[in-house]
Amino acid sequence: MRRKLKTPLLAASLTAFLGLGLHQVQAKDITLHALMEDVPETHIIESMLPEFQKETGIKVEFQKLVYSDMHDKLVAQLTGSSSFYNVLEVDFLWAGEFPAAGWLQPLQPMVDASKFDLAPFIPSMIDLVGKNQGTLYMIPMYNYSMGLIYRTDLLQDPKLQAAYKAKYNTDLAPPKTLAEYVRIASFMKDQAGIAGSAMQGQRGDPNAMEFSNYLFSSGGRYLDDQGHVALDSPEARKALTLYVDAIQHAAQKGALSATLDDTQRLMCSGAAFSFVTYWWMLPQVNDPKACPKVAGKLAIAVMPGGHGESGGWGWGIPKNESPALQKAAWTFIQWVQGEKISIARAMEGHAPVRSDVYQNADVLKKYPYYKEAEQVVATGMAFPVFPYSAQYEDVLGTQLSLAASNQTDVDTAVKKAANGLADLQKKAGQ
Amino acid sequence: MKTRLTGWGFAFPGVALIALVMGFPVVYAGVLAFSSLTFLHARLTPFKGFANFATIFADPLFWNSMKTTVEYSVATVGGEFFLGLVVAVMLNQVVKMKAVYFAILTIPMAMSPVSVGLVWHMLLQPNLGITNTLLESVGIPGVDWLGSTHLAFWTIVGVDIWQQVSFVILILAAGLASLPLEPLEAAAVDGANAWQRFRYVTLPMLRPVAVIAIIIQLINEFRTYDLIYVLTRGGPGVSTDVLSFFAYRRAFLGLALNEGSAIAFVLLLIVLALTTVFFVYTSRQGR
Repeated sequence: MRRKLKTPLLAASLTAFLGLGLHQVQAKDITLHALMEDVPETHIIESMLPEFQKETGIKVEFQKLVYSDMHDKLVAQLTGSSSFYNVLEVDFLWAGEFPAAGWLQPLQPMVDASKFDLAPFIPSMIDLVGKNQGTLYMIPMYNYSMGLIYRTDLLQDPKLQAAYKAKYNTDLAPPKTLAEYVRIASFMKDQAGIAGSAMQGQRGDPNAMEFSNYLFSSGGRYLDDQGHVALDSPEARKALTLYVDAIQHAAQKGALSATLDDTQRLMCSGAAFSFVTYWWMLPQVNDPKACPKVAGKLAIAVMPGGHGESGGWGWGIPKNESPALQKAAWTFIQWVQGEKISIARAMEGHAPVRSDVYQNADVLKKYPYYKEAEQVVATGMAFPVFPYSAQYEDVLGTQLSLAASNQTDVDTAVKKAANGLADLQKKAGQ
Repeated sequence: MKTRLTGWGFAFPGVALIALVMGFPVVYAGVLAFSSLTFLHARLTPFKGFANFATIFADPLFWNSMKTTVEYSVATVGGEFFLGLVVAVMLNQVVKMKAVYFAILTIPMAMSPVSVGLVWHMLLQPNLGITNTLLESVGIPGVDWLGSTHLAFWTIVGVDIWQQVSFVILILAAGLASLPLEPLEAAAVDGANAWQRFRYVTLPMLRPVAVIAIIIQLINEFRTYDLIYVLTRGGPGVSTDVLSFFAYRRAFLGLALNEGSAIAFVLLLIVLALTTVFFVYTSRQGR
């Protein structure tokens, strides 16, 4: 009997030992690779990766790139038989394309198996950068809704206030409409000797994202409630007229070739009055160590006119990956988007996608403007998300750049941008 | 017969390698150009005949890119040849430290176009870049190098010339060094001045080398992509949107690998035509 018991016990112990050992060896041996946008949000997570490795044994390595290079690099990996990147950082603009191409693993089975709680996630974020046609392909990572960041010291400068009053017979105050904003930005360029608006006018994603704020603030939309193209409208013409005006009279030199990085550097150096940008930029330019010239002199507001561009990133898992690596990737996603790490990230300036983080007392104590940020997120409207979103950015960006450089007129640019959207929708079968 | 077979035997490994490494992608790109393969429709079939070509030919932006590519190639090669000739003639007179000059000249050539683009991007940054800072320090207003429709094209042409001119200098300098001295001495005896000796003796003798340099550079410039990608992304507007960048946008942003390949195929035909001219010319010179 003893012998009979001994054998299975030995076998069980050996199996347990081997299993445990194997598990540890596997976790130790696993290195997850992720292609990440080179922005503060990535740096915040990167600084916490040793903690994740300590907890799980899984190593995570980030390869950082500027946004404009990411899409092509990811596509090249995802179309192969296996992907070098095992965890994907997916922009909402690709949230239609990647699932349509069959590159992403549906996540609901993993959510169910691990009982990962999706309830705290802001529903609009799940809609924007989580689900596609009812299937959950991504877990929201952070939001990048856009708003207006401006210099309060310049608005309160007595000389500038007097000059503005003399010129426009009204007080120099935070703008309430888009037209007012462009007027103040032009005035600042003229009178304060700095760029009134640091603009990201490079063709493609930079100017398409920036213009979307002008469009939504003017009451325009890309699509109506039925999903039909609604861009060819008086509101869009007004928005583009103001956008061209801002590029030509309020922006810095070289705005038509500038990207997000250029605007950040300009604002940080104190050479600009304002920029229409991602709200998470505020803690970056408000940092006394990084930007001593402007830190403490900045405020954020919802885009004048009431609506800015809403965006976000999500975590996805590639389909062309082994189950072991997919499992490790899911472990990482649960960890990084869990409440504890989300709050820790928020304390470093993260743009949350969970409502519990916005309501956390410590976070609010450190960053009181998270209240305004929540408004920026709540009032945001989205760029059309469909399989050809990235191409549409290029189509729209080309027309915006042509109009802003006087190579075409506003009316033609709006018409061509609207027709381009309709053509791509048709191509996508929508 | 045996010798011939032995020759093929020796050549086979090299030919096979070239066929595999270079031939396969070219043939595959050709197949893609006639297929219906996109990132969202991952199948070659049904083949579409010339429909992809018809689509791109119907796009006015394709013709804009074609025009920009031709203008860009002519401007860069023209600039490289003129500057290259001047420097090569000057170097031909140099006796001391020739090796040092040539070593310095090879530096830009050895750099990758992406690195060159990034370095110039920083130098030409309109607000915080060193070029405008220097200009402004002597009272000259800063220039919008890459954000102006008119200037961006010429700025990239200038950067390209900066990098590629070394190659032209080296070829022309080698050509000049190999020219016989007797005709020049005879012209000097006949009373020709320095300009006349250069114009009527040196230049005609240098012509075969010059033509080869021009054709090689035309082939290079028609394929330019890296500098555009790093410096302007084809903008502002469409002012620097060359054909290779247009093909990239179609393939990777538009997800249409078939149309991108069709554009690349058109580019290949142009480069092939230039290469044919190059070989015909060099073989005639050889005879």
